[in-house]
Amino acid sequence: MTRFAPPRWTLVASLAALTLIAAVASLLFGAVDLSVARLVAAATGDGDRVATIILFDLRLPRTLLALAVGAMLGLAGAALQGYLRNPLAEPSVLGTSNAAALGGVAAIYFGLAELHPLMLPVLATGGALLSLVLLFALAGRAESPLTLILAGIAVGTLAVAGTSLALNLSPNPFAAMEIMTWLLGSLENRSFDHVWIALPCIAIGGAMLLWNGRALDTLTLGEDAAQALGTDIGRLRLRLLIGTAIGVGGAVAVSGAIGFVGLIVPHLIRPLTDRSPSAILLPSAIGGAALLTFADLGVRVIPTTNELKLGVVTAFLGVPVFLLHLMRERRIW
Amino acid sequence: MKRAWLGGAALLLGGAGALWAAVPAPAAKAPAAPQRVVSINLCADQLVLALADRGQIAGLTKNATDLEMSGEAAKARGIALLSNSAEQILAIEPDLIVGMPASRSAALAALPPADYPLLDLETADRLDQIYASIHQTAAAVGHSARGEALIARMQGELAGLPTPGRGRVAAYYQRRGYMTGTGTLIDELMGRVGLVNLAGKLGKPPLSQLSLEEMVAARPDFLIVESATDTVTDQGSEMLHHPALKDIPRISVPQAWTVCGSPAYTQAARSIVSQIARHDAGGAS
Repeated sequence: MTRFAPPRWTLVASLAALTLIAAVASLLFGAVDLSVARLVAAATGDGDRVATIILFDLRLPRTLLALAVGAMLGLAGAALQGYLRNPLAEPSVLGTSNAAALGGVAAIYFGLAELHPLMLPVLATGGALLSLVLLFALAGRAESPLTLILAGIAVGTLAVAGTSLALNLSPNPFAAMEIMTWLLGSLENRSFDHVWIALPCIAIGGAMLLWNGRALDTLTLGEDAAQALGTDIGRLRLRLLIGTAIGVGGAVAVSGAIGFVGLIVPHLIRPLTDRSPSAILLPSAIGGAALLTFADLGVRVIPTTNELKLGVVTAFLGVPVFLLHLMRERRIW
Repeated sequence: MKRAWLGGAALLLGGAGALWAAVPAPAAKAPAAPQRVVSINLCADQLVLALADRGQIAGLTKNATDLEMSGEAAKARGIALLSNSAEQILAIEPDLIVGMPASRSAALAALPPADYPLLDLETADRLDQIYASIHQTAAAVGHSARGEALIARMQGELAGLPTPGRGRVAAYYQRRGYMTGTGTLIDELMGRVGLVNLAGKLGKPPLSQLSLEEMVAARPDFLIVESATDTVTDQGSEMLHHPALKDIPRISVPQAWTVCGSPAYTQAARSIVSQIARHDAGGAS
């Protein structure tokens, strides 16, 4: 069986180039039209005040967050798909993102985030971890891939309900608007404060997931064979759980629950590789960064009266992939 | 019989029961003065509180005691708060219902057609409309002289008000980037203190959304914000604290003074004037 599989470095390099284009475009376009010359002047330090503030205080943190959050979601999707051997696994389908959003909501609306800035990522991570533990306990070893998805829907729905309830109970008269942002995700109006919250979490979580390539490869042969090859399944599961929870928790804490990035990206990447889990981890991270940055650019460029939520764009991209796989599954039903 | 029933209703309404007994019935100046006034609108609450005797007020809306929303909140404490339910209004048997407008209230539509006297107030977008509402409400609750005195006092306060704005541009920037435009009370307030509304300059509608980028590019001389957004409590207020806005001087005004056309209009105007003056004098504003 021969497949078109470019050498790994070609794939990584072309994805990196794509991501660079996305990042540059994200710095060039926004609500205000600024000429390239003005932006370049601002970037080199002798621009006017308006262009400098827009570039460094608004567009740069937003771009960095789109790259980091996208990379984390793409990577988490690839790792979870590899570990669960389920093509539909990813943080938003499994309810992890929504559970992290619930943690973030609890931190912000009950004043815990004011006690210490670390409370926000810690609670979001806690929410994500709790949902993953619950999910693995419910359906981690299930035979049918659909059992896992159903369990994920249950966990995610519970988290969404909890988020709405928490916001309705909080003394905030603007709860409805806030609920929407948390459930659909947005990178609007982010600042470097948010970058400093998300980036360390994503770096730690991402590193813990990237580390698992070999172990995930052995797992494709089945758990027994993997163990025989020296893979400690318990440790692998723990690294995966904690890495996903910290990374996705940190990402969701600043962006809300953005769906489907972790689903789409590994599926786009997989045909370009030898299909082993280890081969798609890094490319999925880079691809996720490019996808989310382009999606966030779309949010800004598509003319709407109110800014479009990021999750709306990713859902339009992701649902077809999801449906395609459900159709394939139907043969088993 | 009727009095006993009323007493019962008052007791049911909790704290109001004690007040009912404590406040002597006002001397009947005009036979028409209503004794069980119910307000079904936050803005009407403030006018009723400012103009009617406490003993005349039988019910206000649930936000009437919220210091952040109502300029007359302190006065409202102890008066029964209604949750816009037809049942509660029915139980009071009001002899005047004040709303904005009262005749289009969903709660009243649910009641069987009865002859509740209604007072329809207009939403005030200009100062003269505030005066008109004060005039109407005062007459309806039987205290016309009180209304005229209040109007005279407000006119006096505003007549002596300086206009330190000197044509500088200000934007009234709310949570999530909503900006208040022309044809609003805020716009009139800005004009009164000599400021130019950015929304008017940009040709925006009465309420529009302006992104942070657009605000930074528009470079207003002042941002007027609601004092409730001075602290970050959620994502909506967090955006107003974005570092990109840190260099624009701020004027912070309690929403309670501006959300309704109410006597607090003069307080809002004076507060803006003194904050501009403090900024010009070089102090932190």
